[in-house]
Amino acid sequence: MKGQAGYSRIKSLPGSVLVWAILIACCLVVVVPLLFMAGASLMPAGDIMKMPYSWIPKTWRWQNFYNGLAGNDGTWLYLRNIANSLFVSLSVAFSTVALSAMVGYGLAKFNFKGKNVVFMAIMATMMIPFETVMVPLYLIVVKLHMQNTYWGLIVPFLMNAFGVFLMRQYFITFPTEILDAARIDGASEISIFTKIVFKNSGPAAATLAILAFRQQWDNLLWPLLVTQSEEMKTIPAYIVKFAAEKSADEGIMMAVAVIASIPVFILFFSLSKYFLGGAAVYSAGKE
Amino acid sequence: MKPGKKRLSLEAAHDRWGWFFVAPGIAFFSIFSFYPIINAFYTSFFNKKLLSLKAPKFIGLLNYEKVLTSPDFWNSLRATAVFTVGAFVPLFVLSLLFAVLIISRKKFQGSLQMALYSPAVLSSVVAALIWLLIFDPRGLANQAVNFVANTPGIDHKWLADQTMVQVSTIIVYVWKYVGYFTILFVTGISKIPQSVNEAALIDGATPVQRFFRITLPLLRPTTVLVSVMILIQCLKTFSTQYLFTQRGASLGPINVLTLNIYNTALRDGNMGRASVMSVLLFMVMLALSWLQLRVSRSGEGDQ
Repeated sequence: MKGQAGYSRIKSLPGSVLVWAILIACCLVVVVPLLFMAGASLMPAGDIMKMPYSWIPKTWRWQNFYNGLAGNDGTWLYLRNIANSLFVSLSVAFSTVALSAMVGYGLAKFNFKGKNVVFMAIMATMMIPFETVMVPLYLIVVKLHMQNTYWGLIVPFLMNAFGVFLMRQYFITFPTEILDAARIDGASEISIFTKIVFKNSGPAAATLAILAFRQQWDNLLWPLLVTQSEEMKTIPAYIVKFAAEKSADEGIMMAVAVIASIPVFILFFSLSKYFLGGAAVYSAGKE
Repeated sequence: MKPGKKRLSLEAAHDRWGWFFVAPGIAFFSIFSFYPIINAFYTSFFNKKLLSLKAPKFIGLLNYEKVLTSPDFWNSLRATAVFTVGAFVPLFVLSLLFAVLIISRKKFQGSLQMALYSPAVLSSVVAALIWLLIFDPRGLANQAVNFVANTPGIDHKWLADQTMVQVSTIIVYVWKYVGYFTILFVTGISKIPQSVNEAALIDGATPVQRFFRITLPLLRPTTVLVSVMILIQCLKTFSTQYLFTQRGASLGPINVLTLNIYNTALRDGNMGRASVMSVLLFMVMLALSWLQLRVSRSGEGDQ
């Protein structure tokens, strides 16, 4: 194994086979629960809780998906909650990109007094985790009468410090000459931002939008706090309520889980580079 | 002199636009970050109830005294510590191991990362829900363990036993996030200059030697970063514990701080005490972030 060319690669055949065996085994262990979810979503409850478990459904129960959407009481509430999740997540993704780009641009391309103070103050908010301010945030929302409304779900997440950081880093490298040329041509500052700068923020905007979308799609704690009525709940809160019912059918439960995962998996498979890249970028922002 | 002066004033006018673009940020972060954290400190000194119409009364450190002397809080601290340490060790070791193994492969690096990352795509609630069925007495977890250990028919009480339910929440978390941290390590390792490794190869270093003498020391900025990210992430855990308790798992062993804050604020309506716990959680996280800054700065100084 030693003394051979190549960077940190184990070249000997047994070693290589061993490494592949470990990697494939671990990947399988990681992926198996996902396959379980997919398989179980098409089985009658009796087949899921059976020893030994058969991975391929014996009877294909597409009805689980119908029942999952209709709910135990047939109110189709889940559809409404899915729509809520989509609306909230998309709104937050959109506003995070737009507002972070605006603030990031201001910090990247202008030299006003106090700029560094503003930048440092915004970066400092990264040190304030949401979980530590959720109680006062909740009190603010109550005071503004935004409880149980879309405003309450969206407004605290309109933008975030990481987004500002990401956009600022991206815009710093944007050639100032182009901006100056546009100014000489008489373009207004606002149209320079919307028509030149924002239009060219594609990759950073996509990374940020996906990150913001997923955070809201996953958010359970905040919707639990601010929503009271079943109609205003989002997917994670619905799932908890659904699963907490003792009579819940396991097959339907997994169908509900699959439905909740479809949008993010579509995003993942079509835009995986922004997911994997996003993870790396996010860590770089904290470095 | 004159044209220069004119340019300066033009530039000043232009720079004022900076305020225009930054203004939404200043407004937003003042209202939704700085005010709430100050308010959390403030509320922690008041006898504030959620549904009470009476004006909250200043009670000094009484909330702190109540919280710090309540067994419930110390149990939460214990549950959070057990969860954090219990998830940190496997997450750190496994993600570093996977990253090293993946980097050593010529092909399929992307596919391997995607496979390991795929659980991170799920919502936390969905992840917990899948495992809820796997941990069922008749579920896959018992079948798999009994198959490996050759102990047919034994129920390991994944959700019913006080200790096992803590292990179960940790398994869900490690499963969900191991791929995410693997990617961070892969990114870190690929930044290490190849020339160092090649030199070690020529000197006849074994792969294990190269890992401990070269990769690990040069990876220090990434290891520090990932460690702190894992710790902070674990301190914020909520969804798995919440779902498990809603499905009937006993609250005590997995009553982590965030869950306790939520219950104290909403179920008990005691905003003062919830704020005390928020403040304490904030201090711990701040200390961790500060530690990360310090270690990464001192690392730069060494070079």
